[in-house]
Order: sequence, then structure tokens, then C-alpha cells
Amino acid sequence: MRNISSVLGKLAKVVSVGLMLLFAVTMSHAQDAANGAALFKANACQSCHAVGKELTGPDLAGLAERRDEGWIIKWIHNPQGMVDSGDPIAVELKSKYPTMMAAYANLSDDDIRDIIAYVKAEEVKNAEKQTAAAAGGAEGGGGSSDATTLMILGMVIIAVLAVIIIVVLNRVIKSLEKVMESNRAAIEAAQAKNEEYAENRLAKFAKAFLRNKKLVGFAVLGLVALLAVAGWNQMWNVGVHTGYQPVQPIKFSHQVHAGVNQIECQYCHGGAFKSKNASIPSANVCMNCHNTVTASDHYEGEISPEIAKIYKAVDYNPETKEYGKNTRPIEWVRIHNLPDFAYFNHSQHVTVAGIECQTCHGPIETMEEVYQYSPLTMKWCVDCHRDTEVNADNAYYDQLIEAHEKLKKGEKMTAAMIGGLECGKCHY
Amino acid sequence: MSSNKKYWKGLEELQQTPAFVKGSKSEFAEPIPVEDVLNEAGLSTKTPRRDFLKALGFGLGAVTLAACERTPVHKAVPYVIKPEEITPGIPNFYASTFNGQSVLVRTREGRPTSISANPNSIGLNQGTDATTAAAVLDLYDMSKLENPKLDGQDVDWKKLDATVIAALEKAAAAGKKITVVSNTVNSPSTLAALAKLGAKYPTTSHVQVDPVSYSGIIEANRVSFGKAVVPTYHLKNANVVVSVAADFLGTWVAGEEHTQDYIKNRDYKSLKNGKMSRHIQFESGLSMTGSNADVRIAIKPSEEGAVLISLYNAITGQSLAGGVSNKKAQTAIALAAKELTNLKGAALVVAGSNDVNVQLLVNAINSNLGAYGDIIDLDNYSKQHQGSDAAFQEFLKSAAAGQVGVAMFLNSNPVYDYFKSEDVKAALAKVDFTLSFSDRSDETASELKAIAPTCSFLEAWGDSSSREGYYSVVQPTINLIFNTRQAEQSLLVWSGDTISIHDFVKQNWEQNILAGTGKAWKDVLQAGFIYKGTEKGGAYTAQVDINSVTTAVVANGKAITGEVELKLYESTGMRDGRYANNAYLQELPDPVSKVTWDNYAAINPKFAEEIGVSENGTVKIEANGYEVELPVLMQPGQALGTISVAVGYGRTKVGKAGNNVGKNAYPFARLANGTVQFESKATVAKAGKTYELAQTQTHHTIEGRNIIRETSFAKYLKDPNSESGRFADSHKTYDLWNKYESPGHKWVMAIDLNACTGCGSCIVACNVENNIPVVGRDEVRRRREMHWLRIDRYYTLESTNGKLTEEKLIAKDADLDYEDVTVVHQPMLCQHCDHAPCETVCPVLATVHSSEGLNHMAYNRCFGTRYCANNCPYKVRRFNWFNYWNDSRFDNYLNNEFTQLVLNPDVTTRSRGVMEKCSMCIQRIQSGKLQAKMENRKLKDGDVKVACQEACSANAIIFGDLNDPESEVSKALRNERVYYVLEEINVQPNIGYMTKVRNTFEA
Repeated sequence: MRNISSVLGKLAKVVSVGLMLLFAVTMSHAQDAANGAALFKANACQSCHAVGKELTGPDLAGLAERRDEGWIIKWIHNPQGMVDSGDPIAVELKSKYPTMMAAYANLSDDDIRDIIAYVKAEEVKNAEKQTAAAAGGAEGGGGSSDATTLMILGMVIIAVLAVIIIVVLNRVIKSLEKVMESNRAAIEAAQAKNEEYAENRLAKFAKAFLRNKKLVGFAVLGLVALLAVAGWNQMWNVGVHTGYQPVQPIKFSHQVHAGVNQIECQYCHGGAFKSKNASIPSANVCMNCHNTVTASDHYEGEISPEIAKIYKAVDYNPETKEYGKNTRPIEWVRIHNLPDFAYFNHSQHVTVAGIECQTCHGPIETMEEVYQYSPLTMKWCVDCHRDTEVNADNAYYDQLIEAHEKLKKGEKMTAAMIGGLECGKCHY
Repeated sequence: MSSNKKYWKGLEELQQTPAFVKGSKSEFAEPIPVEDVLNEAGLSTKTPRRDFLKALGFGLGAVTLAACERTPVHKAVPYVIKPEEITPGIPNFYASTFNGQSVLVRTREGRPTSISANPNSIGLNQGTDATTAAAVLDLYDMSKLENPKLDGQDVDWKKLDATVIAALEKAAAAGKKITVVSNTVNSPSTLAALAKLGAKYPTTSHVQVDPVSYSGIIEANRVSFGKAVVPTYHLKNANVVVSVAADFLGTWVAGEEHTQDYIKNRDYKSLKNGKMSRHIQFESGLSMTGSNADVRIAIKPSEEGAVLISLYNAITGQSLAGGVSNKKAQTAIALAAKELTNLKGAALVVAGSNDVNVQLLVNAINSNLGAYGDIIDLDNYSKQHQGSDAAFQEFLKSAAAGQVGVAMFLNSNPVYDYFKSEDVKAALAKVDFTLSFSDRSDETASELKAIAPTCSFLEAWGDSSSREGYYSVVQPTINLIFNTRQAEQSLLVWSGDTISIHDFVKQNWEQNILAGTGKAWKDVLQAGFIYKGTEKGGAYTAQVDINSVTTAVVANGKAITGEVELKLYESTGMRDGRYANNAYLQELPDPVSKVTWDNYAAINPKFAEEIGVSENGTVKIEANGYEVELPVLMQPGQALGTISVAVGYGRTKVGKAGNNVGKNAYPFARLANGTVQFESKATVAKAGKTYELAQTQTHHTIEGRNIIRETSFAKYLKDPNSESGRFADSHKTYDLWNKYESPGHKWVMAIDLNACTGCGSCIVACNVENNIPVVGRDEVRRRREMHWLRIDRYYTLESTNGKLTEEKLIAKDADLDYEDVTVVHQPMLCQHCDHAPCETVCPVLATVHSSEGLNHMAYNRCFGTRYCANNCPYKVRRFNWFNYWNDSRFDNYLNNEFTQLVLNPDVTTRSRGVMEKCSMCIQRIQSGKLQAKMENRKLKDGDVKVACQEACSANAIIFGDLNDPESEVSKALRNERVYYVLEEINVQPNIGYMTKVRNTFEA
């Protein structure tokens, strides 16, 4: 009976977390910082810059204090020009960071102001994190902002409320238990009687049932039919691995890459657009971003252990930024296994027919870990070929006389109609 | 109306032997004993209930257990750093060179999978020969050495280098000779590397020797023109060709290039213009070239010289002694001489003999005919055969005298292919240090102290110059597979040069070849070749002392005149024996005899009767002190009293596939007038044994149905339709089935029987493209060869009483000597019938028709009833009796992981128990279509080329879309000569054949 209280405890936690989240949302800054964050990502600033850390370019923390806004705008629009014109700060920067920053003339002055705002917001966040970390052991230090005091106040109220509720409920439970104790004997007697009665009825029913041979026959028949149907259905699923989600050597998340960061599928799976193989990207493609993106903010300043696996594969030393010779390919576990006798060409479907990756691979941009979304059975292929209209804009199809006639009549021309169901199209 | 000429594939068909009749009834050699089971006894046998239950229980249990296995986890391993030029799934092509021909190597994910001609090249730019198409398999040969060897032990390169350098220095210090023995080397960079060695060790010399030597021609040209070269022959300028024992379409000088040129005067385009060359062949064994001749006269080897003397007399009007006495030959020579003199400037005489005097006589004749310049090109001469028999003799002599300190063998294997192998061994025993660059421990290499294994041309940098002024590159298409090092690099290391081979080749090109051409090294890597020569050579007149030459020719003829005369020849697939471990070539049926996996003694059937041997018998042949027992092959067309034996067989240390296949015939050769000659007198006796050759000629018989259409050029000129015998011209047909509509493409093929020489390169190209397994000799004997494309060779007999039309006549005609046969080669593959008989009988719809006119075969659907094969009138379906790619019983060939890297990843390997057949290279059709779609355009003619078409140098196979009226195939199929095989059964095949036209002398 104690579990009710634990349930309540959990409830309290959920409520408090929810409130916390609510506060966190209200905490976020004005619109400009959000836009700045988007611009920061869209222009790949993070490849060379971070707030609170020096990368290829200087640390952006304290940017607004260090530099005048006009200077920053000028610099971002044309850094090389400033160096050439002999601006002292620019020249100093150039000598300190030899990799020259690219010019971002496309950014408007307001855009740059937004980015500066974003940098400021990041500074604040970093400072909070630091104080939170510092205050971890000691008594909760004074709120650094209104938001945190509000949050703490809310939590305290919730905790008090929860304690009151728990105490009240426990009282109710105790009194109910007392009532049950007093009536125990009567309840047990009734239960015993019930059981006896049920036993008698069961035995009688079984005897009557067994005597009636027709009934037995029908029952057996029914059972066999049931098993057969179940077996039949089971057989159809032999070798169908929908939902197959093997553990991969690297916990790569499509949700982060394709979902949050909106990286185009083509960036990594270029083969899907020009070849039969979609091709798993080679590790050098990962390194295009991951030589700077280390996700260390999620791992307390350390390089993410998953990203470290890429470094190991390409034998990259993040300290010295040098590559070694001791490379080792990453052995991914293949998820979509088509049998060897079935020929499938990605480019035909992606480039020629213009089918979205998600049509067959499902909501890939939401998958933390990829699983097989489609059954990959022949029925599945055939069904789609029957329904899908041919992309008749392609000049190749001009020679299909029939196609023209159909289209003239306004009829649909599916893949199946131009031979998309013929054996030799996929089996050779 | 079609002619009623009788065509037959083999003597057993002609004579309708009981075994043949029985065998032809069933589709498969070993029928399933259905009758035995279904007869009364079989039906009344009791199967005890317990046995039944036991079997059932076991079956269920076994299946359940087998199903318990977990689905295997498949790994997907991407590149760590993907090379920029590679997209997985898309092939890359690299220009390279094989045997002097500029080729394109197709690679997939970094491994070569096929070789085809470089279409932009000059010379042979259309098609490859069988050895080139098969060469990709040699890269994945398991029998190659993986490490350098010293005294039979694996060592590292450092140790080997130290030993070799020490030996070289010792020899140089002692003033002893350092000799590099090689076959013909025409690679400028190899020669440059040899020169480096020579610069470091001044006693170095280079000896070139070829197993099949052209020393005779070289020496004759030196004497008559002062140019010691083998000329280039431009056969497209020759309207009449007389060949005396030269297999110029097959193995002689540059067979495939000759084929390409020769056919230009004989194919459907030439005929359309009313032009066709005439080809007269005098020879003893029926060669591939002879089988294509318009007129062929069987002569003995000893008569070769006499024929040329008679021809010389007839052309010049002289009357030198020693002419031929053979009546048939005399008539032919008279006609040929008339033809030759009428067409001076467009006439050519060639001879296969390696005798200097015979070649001098040929030079005199050609000079008289004005062949030098347009046809025989002495300026842009061929550099493919530079071996000198005399130089090798010299080397043997000085080695035996102990004057040679170091001997190195580069692509040379004299212990196997020199006629006196003991002489070589004895001489080598006297050499202080011996080394071979061979990639395997072959007959010579295994006798030597060290082996510095070189790599395959697909792993190497290099070049070639097969013709004066013509240079082509060799570039690697894969990293080194084993711990090998290419010979040129070794030579450089030993001469103290540390330059990498790539830099060395590049430097050599930039300094010596590209200078002044305005081209850069990169351009050459892309184009593959560069030509600095001229279109044709200058005119030359031969200086020949005709009287002394004829005397010598007569004397040499006398020396080989005997009761029985032996002629050695190179076979089209095996050549001189260097490809003996290539299973594709071993299983390629000989163009004429259709024998696989063996050499044999080819004997005229009448002569065989005389010496008392029959089919499957063996004979003992003795000549020049060498004796060997060989299985007999009844060869129609073989001159009486002669035996032909192919060299290139009987290797003992070449590898798993080629060891002990056939018998070595090189020791039969003899040295005369300073050159190695392949003709001699011999004795032959019946030997008691029986031996069945794996011969495919009577497999898949068409059972005497009239499927060959043949006419003469004179008749063709009068009526292009002559003898085409089209059924539709005279009959109305009724269809049982609905017409198939092909609204998009309609893939069809046209095969020009007049262009097909039967060389078989299409078969090998098809094997490589479609992952067709090699089955081995025993399986071929059981009629289980898997070739999707075969070339049927049909004989017709001509006798003194005119053409034989009825088989019954043969028994009566006692005079029949089987010397005068004519041959037609007919490539036969799935005809992709619109009303295919195979489709209607398949119980599981595994073979069905497509909207593009193809007959599809779904292997995964087939469960092997074999009804389709039974119902196919063309007999082109093949059944997989085993998992040939993965069965330890066929261990010799392709079933190991390494060799399987040759497989084309776009084509499934078929499993045991399913039918397969020509798919018209559907993988190429699909990829061609996809390419067009990706580029948002219509498919052009020529976008899709099937493998056999690509390999055909004669342009005998034309493939394309019939719905495109402008495509080459549409035009070809509108030709008057087109007929369809077995048109009368109305299966509506999609492959049209064009009648064979023979430019015979009209009586």
C-alpha cells in the first residue's frame, strides 16, 4: 500500500520538472538572440568559433565588451579588406589566427546584431552553468537572476504541497486498512465457497464436453484452423525484418543530424542520387564537421566518446589536429538487407522518380537509432509500382508512345504500366 | 527457296551413329530415371509405413533445425577515406594495354572486372580477341607467387636484391655475360630499364625469343629490303588474299586486327555496295582462317613451298622447277594467279611458314603484285614479334660454354616451349646465377636459383609499342595484390636507380615519346595511346635471288616429305601456352574442332580408317626423336596423310587449372635453316587406349533442321535475296498467341554469318560479363557446359560429283576423302522469341516476356523442372547441375574467394538447380536506360552495347532498338539477306541472321 505514496512522489517530481521547464522557456531571451543562434548555425560559424572556447578562430566570449559594434559589422562583411587597410586590431588578429575568416557580405547589419545578441546570451548561459557548478556543493547561492529565484520559489511551494498531500492520503489509507482487518474472517469464508463452486462447475462442464464427440471434433478443428492461420501469417513474415534495429558501433543519431541540424541526406548519402548504392559515408565525410564539432559542451568539456570513435577510425589526434596512418574502417551493421537476387537502384528512385527518402526509410529525421521501416518484401515493391505515377517530365519517356496516348487521355501512367512489374527489371 | 545442302556438325551426325541418334533425343546427357520409377515394378514397390514416417520425421526435424539458424548479421564497411573518383556502384574505366592493343579496363570499387577495346584507338579498336577478354581472370589467379623466392624459399625483397646485385657484380667483375632472355619486348620503358642495367653492367645483353617464332619473316625482310621487321598488313586494302598455311585471322602476326580489316570487305555493308573480297587458303589442318576461306585446298606441309613456287610461276610466267603436283592445288593456283594478277595492287599472298626461303619467295610474289605500300606496310611495321631463333641459339651455346654469369628470364619459359628442353636445362646448369621474373613457379622458373615475381599488367605501370609509331600506356587499376614487384622496377633497383616505376615511365614518355607532339602525360593516360606513324607504308621492291631460293625451298620440302607429315599450330585460345592456367580459355571450344580442355591429333577420317583408329581412339606419334600418345580427332578438311597438333598444351607447372592438360607438342619442332619450324615428317601408329575428348560440337544439336542459309557472291549480285529462304515470303502464318506490344524499346540483334569468323571472343566476353561458371572437362563431356552463347560450326561436304545433298549419298561415295569441306559458323544464343515456347511450359512463370521484347529469366523463381530447355527449339538454355562457383568438386577453377573477385557485381551468380540463358546483358540495358534518364534525354543508338557485340572485332553482332528506325540494327535487319532461324515454327525470334555469302570461283 506504500506504492500509492511512491506514485504520488513521482507525480510531484513530474510536476516540478514540468514547472522547471516552463520557467526555462520564459527564461529565454528576446527574438533577436534566437535569430542570431539560427544565423550562427546556418553560416557554419561554429566550425571556427565558440563562446568560451578558442577554436580555429578567437573565443567569442566578451565580444561586445571587447569590440565596438560598428567594427564587428565591418569585420564580418569584409575581414580581408580590413587587414589590407591596416586596421590595427585586424592586423593583430591576422597574426594571431593565420586562417583567414571568410567574408559574410550576405549578413545584414541587423543579422550581425542578432548574432552579437546570441553570443551575449551564450555568455550568460555559460556563466550560469559555471555558478551552478560552483554552487553544487554549497548551499544554493544567491540567485544570479530573477528567473532562478522564481524557479526555486516554485519548487519550494510544490514540495510543500506534495508533503501535505502525501500525509493526508496516508491517513486515509491507514483507516481503510483498519476496516479491512476487522472484516477479514467473513471475506475469507466467502472466497473459499466461491472457489469450491467454481471447481464443481468446471469439472462438470469438462465431463459434458468430453462426452460430446462432435463438440470435441469441432474444437480440435477450430484449434487446427487457428494454428494454421497463425502459422500462415507467421510464414509470411519469415525473413521480413521490419523494425530491425541493430546496435551500431557508433551511436549515430539521425535525429540530431537530419532532424535538428537539418543536414541534407545527400550530404552523406550522395550515392543515393547517382548510384545504385546509397553508400554509407566514409569517415572523411564525418570529419568535415567533426574536426571542430566535438559536442564537448554535452560532455563536460571532453570530446564526445562517440565522436572519439570517428577519430580513432581515421587515426586523428584532436590535440595536435594531425592524422596518423593507423586507420580502421567503421564496421556498421547493415539494416536494410535485400537478397542478392533482387537488384535495386537508388538513383532510379531518388533522382529519376523523385521519391523522398522518407517514403521507404520512414521518419528518418526523428530516429535516434535507425530501424527498418518498410518490410522490403516484393509485395511492397509491387504495390508501390502499381500506384506510383511515372515522372513523365523526363525526356527519356518521350519515346514511350503509349505513355503519350495515356497522358493525352488524362489517365494515370504508373510504373507498372511501363514494365515496372516485369521480372527482369529487378532479377538478373 | 532454301537450298537442300546438308549441313552437319560432326561425323557422328553425318553418319547418324547410334550413339548420336540416342543422345540427340534427349535434352540432357543423363536423363532422370523417371521411366524406371514409373514402370510397373517401380509402382508396385512397397514403401513401408514406418520408413515413410521415419523419412517424414527426419525431414521435418532437419528443416526445423536448419531454420533455427539465426539470421546472419551483415556488416556494411565504408571506406575510411573514400577516393574521390570512386562512387560505390558505378564503374570506372581506365585505359591500359594488353598484347599491344589499347584497351579499357572496367573497375568496380577498385577491382578490375572486364577488359574491352579502346574504341578511339587506331588499329584494333573494335573488339578484342578471346585471350584479351579472358585476361582479367589471370589477375585473380591463385597459382601465382606471393613472395620472391631464393633457392625455393620465400625471402624478402631486400635479401633477394642483395643476392642479385652480388651476382651481377661478380659476373661483371669476371667479365662474364649477363643475359636477359625475354619474349618480344616492345615496351619502351622496359627497354629503357634494360638499358639502365646495361649501363651499370656493360656485359649485359638482351635476347628475345618467341615460342612461336617469326624469325623467318624478319630474316627474309632483312635480305630482300634491308629491314629486319615483321610488316603490318592492311587487309582492308586487299581484295584477294591467298594464304598458304597462315592462320592470319587467328594466331598469325595480329589475327584480331586482320579480322577487323578483312571483314570490312565482306560484311553486310560491303556486300550492300556490291563488294566482296576473295580468300583462297592452302593448308593441311583446317584452321579458323581456312574455315572462313572462299576456296580452301588441303595440302601437305611439304607442299607449302611447292604451292608458292607454282603460284610464282603462274604470276610471273616463269617455269621454275619444284611446282606442286597435286591436281586440285594446280587448278586452284591457276585460278588464284589469274585473280591476283587482275587485281595487282589489291592482292596479297601470305605464308605461315617460318622458313626464310619460303618467306623470300612470298616477298618476291608480293613485290610482283605491288602489295608493298597499301597492303604490306614496312614503315609502320609490327613490333609484336621480334624474337630471334639465332640469338637464342647463340645464348645457349655461350651458356653451355660457361661464358654466362647471370641469366634472367622475362616472360620467357624455354624449358617448356623450346623444342629441346634438355639443351636449355644443360646450358642453365653452367650459368652461375639464374633468375626468372615469372609470376609463378613455372617450368623454367622452378629450375632457377631465384624468382623475382612480377605483377599482372593490371597492377603495373608500363607501356607498349606494338607498331612503329604507335605507343600505348599501361596503368595500374588495382594496388599490388601480393608481395610482387614489376620486373622493370626490379631492373631499376638492381642497376642502382631508386626512381619509382611511375616516375620512370612518365619521364621516359616525356623525354622520348611525347616530345614534339604537344601532348602531356595526363592526356596519354586518358586517351591510352598516341600514334606518330603514317596511314600506310612506302612502296618497296624485293631483292630476291629467286633461283637459289626455290632450290632451297624444294630441298626443305623434301626434308619433311614423308608417309605421314606433322604440322604444329597455335590454337586460338591457348596460343603458345602462356594462358594455360586461364580456365575461361581452357573451356573455350576450339573454333573448328569444338574441343575443350585438351589438345589432340587431328586426322582426316579416311586416313584414320587407313591406320585403323576410330573415334575416341589414341595414336602414338613419333617425330624428331620425340614420341607422344594423343587422342584422335576426326577432322574433316584435314589433308590426307597429315596430322595437326596444337602447341601450348601439356604444361606441368602453370597452376591448378592448366597443369597436365593435353600433351606438350613443342618437342616435335625442328631447327632448319637457322629457324625453328613446325613442320616435319612423322610416323603414326594406333595406340590401344580410348580417350573421350570433351567436345561440344554435337551438344545441342538442331537435329538436321535447315537453319543455315548460304549463297554465292555471284548469285547474291544477281539477287540479294538469294537463298535467304525466308518462310514468310512463301507462307502465311497463324498466331496462337496475342502479339506482344513493345511501346518503349524493342531489343533485337542481327548476326552477320558472313562476318563471323568463329573466333570465340564473344563467348569469353559473355562469360566474364555474366559470371558464367567454368565446369571442367568431365562436365563438358556430360554436355553440361554453361556457355550462354555458343558458336555452332557446320560442315558441308563437296565431292567430285558436286555438292552432297543427301546423307545417304555418303555411304555410297567411296571416293569421299573428307578433304573438301566448307564451314559455316553460326553464333547461337537465346533468340528472345516473341512467342517463346519456353515461356508457355514453365509451371511457375519463372521465364516470361517483357514489354521490351526480352525473354526474362527469374532465377529465384525457377525450381528446375527443365521443361523450358526441353521445349526450346534453339537449345540455348543451360541448367545448373551444381553450385559451380562454390563446390569443392570443381576445385581447380573459380571457387575460392580470391578468384571470385572477378565476378561482375551487377549480375547474380546462379545457384544449383536453376535454368539460365542469355539475358541480352539486361544489366547493361538497364544501366544504359538509367543513364539516359539521369541525363534527362532519349536513349541513343549505341548507348547500350552487349558484351558479345563489344568483343566482336568483325562487327558480326549488331544489337539495338528496333523501335528506333535509324539504329544500326534496324538498318541491318532491313537487309535482304536477313532470315530468322526456324522461322517456320513461328516462335518469332528477335535475332535475325544474314545469309553466308561465299565468293567461290564460278565454274
